[in-house]
Amino acid sequence: MLRYVVNRIVSLLPVLIIVSIIVFLIIHLTPGNPATLILGEEASPTSIHQLEEKLGLNQPIVVQYLDWLKKMVTGDFGQSVYSSEPVTHMIAANLGPTFSLMVFALILTLIIAIPMAVIAVWKRNTILDPIFISVSLLGVSIPAFWLAILLVLIFAVALPVFPVAGYVPLSRNFLGGLYHLFLPAFILAAVETGLVARMLRDGMLEAVNQNYTKTARAKGLTESTVLLKHVLANALIPTTTVIGTMVAGLMGGTVIVETIFTIPGIGQLLIDSIYRRDYPVIQGVILFIAVVYVLVNLIVDLLYTLLDPRIRYD
Amino acid sequence: MKHQSEKLLSAIVALILLFSLSACGSGASNQSSSKPAKGGTLKVAYASEPATLDWSYTSASATRDIGWNIFETLFTLDKNYDIKPMLASSYRVSKDRKVYTIKLRRGVKFHDGSVMTASDVKASFNRWRKVSSVGQITDPYIKKITPVDEHTIQVTLKTPYESFISNISAPKSALAIIPAKIANQAKDKPLSNNQLTGTGPYKLSTWTKGQKIELARFNQYSARKETHWGGLTGKKTAYFKKIDFLIVKDAQVRQNGLKTGLYDYAQSIPTDLYDSIQSSGQVKPVTYINGYSAVTPDKSEPPFNDIKARQALNDALNKEAIAKATYGNKKFYQMDGALFDPQQKQLYTKAGTRPYLAYNEGKARQLLKESSYDGRTLKIIYSNNNDNYKEIAEIVKQQMEAVGFKVELIPYEWATFLTKWENPKNWDLEIVGWSTRFSPVELGMLQLNTNSSGWYKSRKWESLLGQWGKAVTEKQKQEVLAQMNRTVYTELPFYKIANEKTLDIRSSQLHYDSWLGERFWNTWKTNE
Repeated sequence: MLRYVVNRIVSLLPVLIIVSIIVFLIIHLTPGNPATLILGEEASPTSIHQLEEKLGLNQPIVVQYLDWLKKMVTGDFGQSVYSSEPVTHMIAANLGPTFSLMVFALILTLIIAIPMAVIAVWKRNTILDPIFISVSLLGVSIPAFWLAILLVLIFAVALPVFPVAGYVPLSRNFLGGLYHLFLPAFILAAVETGLVARMLRDGMLEAVNQNYTKTARAKGLTESTVLLKHVLANALIPTTTVIGTMVAGLMGGTVIVETIFTIPGIGQLLIDSIYRRDYPVIQGVILFIAVVYVLVNLIVDLLYTLLDPRIRYD
Repeated sequence: MKHQSEKLLSAIVALILLFSLSACGSGASNQSSSKPAKGGTLKVAYASEPATLDWSYTSASATRDIGWNIFETLFTLDKNYDIKPMLASSYRVSKDRKVYTIKLRRGVKFHDGSVMTASDVKASFNRWRKVSSVGQITDPYIKKITPVDEHTIQVTLKTPYESFISNISAPKSALAIIPAKIANQAKDKPLSNNQLTGTGPYKLSTWTKGQKIELARFNQYSARKETHWGGLTGKKTAYFKKIDFLIVKDAQVRQNGLKTGLYDYAQSIPTDLYDSIQSSGQVKPVTYINGYSAVTPDKSEPPFNDIKARQALNDALNKEAIAKATYGNKKFYQMDGALFDPQQKQLYTKAGTRPYLAYNEGKARQLLKESSYDGRTLKIIYSNNNDNYKEIAEIVKQQMEAVGFKVELIPYEWATFLTKWENPKNWDLEIVGWSTRFSPVELGMLQLNTNSSGWYKSRKWESLLGQWGKAVTEKQKQEVLAQMNRTVYTELPFYKIANEKTLDIRSSQLHYDSWLGERFWNTWKTNE
């Protein structure tokens, strides 16, 4: 088990190196110069040149990459060319909002998806099932940005139930923070719910006719116990995989939702840095996302052993 | 068994309901907006986060509009764009027009509590000569700067240069006065957050990157007495205890936030929303001049190195039609061919601008035939982050094609656009807006032999800039300005489309005096 974990973590290295090279190439080959953006479009060529030199942008791209790699190995992600803040500080400062948003969205997804799937399976021969299928399909198909604009117009402008934008750290004001996060998290959840609920439903439908389910029923267990304890539990494994990939989807979704709701998270940091050509920050954030993604998938794989004791990594 | 799952369901529903109810409760307390005239927090939805708040270091408007709440200059502009003293009390020029003796106001305190003296002014001056784009223009004329006593400073020029006072008053890459200690520490680097020490009515309290910039009232602010000057000078009172500049990039969010009381003031709203804003009671529009849009040809290469081709283009462009289609509402554009805005009385003259509206398709076709244009496809570049320039580009293309040009539109994202602009190979025409300028030396679209002017080379313009530096009286200045207009319409280095106005919005409870950009002293909120 431990060996498996270590192996997986070591195999992360080549992934990160490849990601870093691709990202480095893409962002440096994209036209745009952070020095011009900082000094304003009418800055003299000499001032721009001086700033480029100060930022180390006049070096050949290979030298810049190796310099960056050398520093990164020692844990130094460099400084933002825009605000001269260390990249690690910026990521840390923007992590809280994204993390809260993602966890909240994940919880909402599960709160909505699990009962939905259970009801759909329980009432599988009624009108509820096709309704469920259409609703979940709609959820998967609606673009997050469109849903965001629509819900803001309805629940924040026309009926001012929720704020149109803004962020309050949960550590400062827990309820106020959740209140600000509700709409954005709900929008993220709406997209993911459809997927998770359908996975669960399919898994449960498969389990409903298995022999162990029949045995459970034969033992005289109530239908709800059968569904929740036997069917649902067995449908959870494929769903867990989906939840793992969902984290990536949520990360992508946060980029849009954070921008619309002005939540100072990782997504907004990434977008801003791209517009500003803030190379070290773009590089740092993408690597960070890559690491999170790989780690989440590792955790999902390890979770299998908990959900199904038959699975072992030896 | 039904019973149990129903219980589960209703429990979940109840939880969600409870949750949203408690959420409403906590939100309501945030929304109490009625505040007495003095005190409270002003919440501004600000469109873009500046790289730095160092007002000397960059010409970016995002820096300027927050920076001038923190910093002040020796001289500055009043509400009529006339130069008035701010931190200076008066000045005198020697007979040979080379020595400027500037008297400073006494007892003016910096945010760190120290009192402003001539040595602070000298150090700020020296830093500005190095870091500011306007300072770099002024630097070659300055021979020496000497503090005469604590409250007097003398600037000796190499040759007479009448733009001197105007340059040090410009609210763009401004000569902000900072403590000598800080100026010497910072040298040619931008001021860091703990170095942002000025004399303004507000001081920086915290800057949460990506979120907000908080200013706090400077309680020891020494105000001038003049109540009627306005603009950036005269009596400034900080009514709000705090100003929060919240970074909100999406215009729709800024507008929705203002409507729902999340913000008191929102910057930069699409002008086509003006009518809907006019009809709502709680939101009021704020408009101010914001330079003009222009089309600039690349004059270093064919076809626009040929004056005939440039004349053909001037006759091909129906600027009124372009402006009408682009800006729509008459309140947000003005057809005027001069280099400066009519509100800038000391810089404005209409003389020499007649060819501005020379639209004549037949003549354009004729001129194009006579020119060296070989029928190649011309590239128009513009930035797609602004709908106005996109609109202008599309109509310019139609109008050019109507007289026989072949045209291709190439939109870029802003940072890419800036890079593409640097090389004449990438474009033949470029479309961009130029914010309000305060002196002929600052006109970006006429900076000789740079990409921003499309590599404009002109002895005539060079000599006019020289004459501007020597013009002393109003009459002399007006004459030079008229000559400048005439030169621009003979040599056609760029085509002005129309003067632009910007739309901000404010809460109807906010008492705000509109000028250029956002300034939040003398601003308060009433309970009505």
